[in-house]
Amino acid sequence: MKVLFVCSGGMSSAIAVNALKKEAEKNGIAMEVLAVGTQEFDAEVQNGWDVAMVAPQVRHRFDGFKASADAAGVPCQLIPPQAYSPLGGPALLKAVKELKK
Amino acid sequence: MDKFVAFLEKYLSTPMAKLSEQKHLRSIRDGVVAALPFIIFGSIFLIIAFPPVGADTAIALWAKKHIAEILIPYRLTMFIMTLYITFGIGYSLSASYKIDPLSGGLLSTASFLFTIGIKSMEGVGFVLPMTNLGGHGLFVAMLVSIFSVEVLRLCNRKKIMIKLPDSVPTSVARSFEALIPVVLVLTVMTFITVVFKVDLHSIVDKAVAPLVKAGDSYFGVIIPVFLITFFWSFGIHGVSVVGAVARPVWEVYLANNSAAVAAGQAIPHIAPETFFQWFIWIGGSGATLGLVIAMLLTAKSKYSKALGRTTIVPSIFNINEPVIFGLPIVLNPVLIIPFVITPLVTTTVAYIATSVGLVTPTYVMVPWTLPAPIGAYLSTGGDWRAIVLVLVNISLSVLIYLPFFKMYDSKLVAQELEEQSSSAA
Repeated sequence: MKVLFVCSGGMSSAIAVNALKKEAEKNGIAMEVLAVGTQEFDAEVQNGWDVAMVAPQVRHRFDGFKASADAAGVPCQLIPPQAYSPLGGPALLKAVKELKK
Repeated sequence: MDKFVAFLEKYLSTPMAKLSEQKHLRSIRDGVVAALPFIIFGSIFLIIAFPPVGADTAIALWAKKHIAEILIPYRLTMFIMTLYITFGIGYSLSASYKIDPLSGGLLSTASFLFTIGIKSMEGVGFVLPMTNLGGHGLFVAMLVSIFSVEVLRLCNRKKIMIKLPDSVPTSVARSFEALIPVVLVLTVMTFITVVFKVDLHSIVDKAVAPLVKAGDSYFGVIIPVFLITFFWSFGIHGVSVVGAVARPVWEVYLANNSAAVAAGQAIPHIAPETFFQWFIWIGGSGATLGLVIAMLLTAKSKYSKALGRTTIVPSIFNINEPVIFGLPIVLNPVLIIPFVITPLVTTTVAYIATSVGLVTPTYVMVPWTLPAPIGAYLSTGGDWRAIVLVLVNISLSVLIYLPFFKMYDSKLVAQELEEQSSSAA
């Protein structure tokens, strides 16, 4: 599964990315996750991702991201705030799986 | 309390955050951000030119002798940062309108150069005076970039352009498409600056002078600090919202401060962006390094123990979203209180310390992911007292966060006990 994260600078989401990767590994799911900043998202989302997840602190820009993701046919959703931490792996994996369906 | 928070979010923080996404504001912010690597590179040479060592050491003597050469990389990047920013604003604004960003960036740059004017020097030829290519020219750059791209957009929308047949390669066709708007915009600029000899820079300088003065006052510093933590309390990236309006002013301060140092003059401004970054946002917005230290020292619940251990390293590098969302601080009244109060206190301390001359004002920009004591030391050009100020502010933030964290932590302990007993039963 290929998951794209977007946050302000692509820095903080790197932490959530690691949490998600670890959790996926534990569950035996092959997963590729990339975190990008807001400026790169519109271009990157077109590169064949399964789902796109938007970090909670940039949710005021969600409408714009959703429009680009829709145009690329990628399901797009907000990351639940509580899952956005190093301990949020299980919640993240659940959210990603639900979005994929 | 919960209702009050929900009310604020719906009617205040979310609409304001949306406002910061307004296309012109956003492209100005993105244009400035695009120039940051060049500003960081250039400002490093200020440290080399004025090394933080005794005046009679070999390094200091060497630097003094070669200062003009050492400062060349600075003069070609940070000193003329507005030239880079102008292209960035034009590029991002046209990209947001989905018109050719390269044309927008180039046209903005040309318009900006038209406001500078040239001089002729014997033995050198024609020269561009550099002063207004730096922080001084930033407000003019914002205006002419927006003007240029809006004309470009208008011509695009009204189809005022030369259309070539489809058989022509797209890159050639695109340059012809930009021809009419380029002629229009640059003719206007020629009239303004060459025919009527209007000096846009001195006019705009006068117009923004009150703003530039206000932003450097105590209230000009405390208000953005409050707003940034206010937005974060709802989980919205405060710096990106407030910075959409404040960042140009912050960069002007930085440019003026560095130019003053390079010219050997007194440093004029207290509060460039680097002031906030190194003295206030220690560990990230809300000065949360203090909170994480409080967590490591006193956590009783399993959850905050684990969170403290996993967030201390990112916090040292000023990344605090895991704390803000993980603990959480967002929409959590007990922790929002110290999250808002701590920076107000540390800002006051830092502002006083800087304005009475206990600490050198910041004038060097280094990457924001450096640990705060190192960042503060470098951004003040190597003032060890800046490290002391950072340590004082960290201690203050630990003290303010501590009682509130303990209150919240005991709630977590109670919850964990409850879960344990219910799962055991």
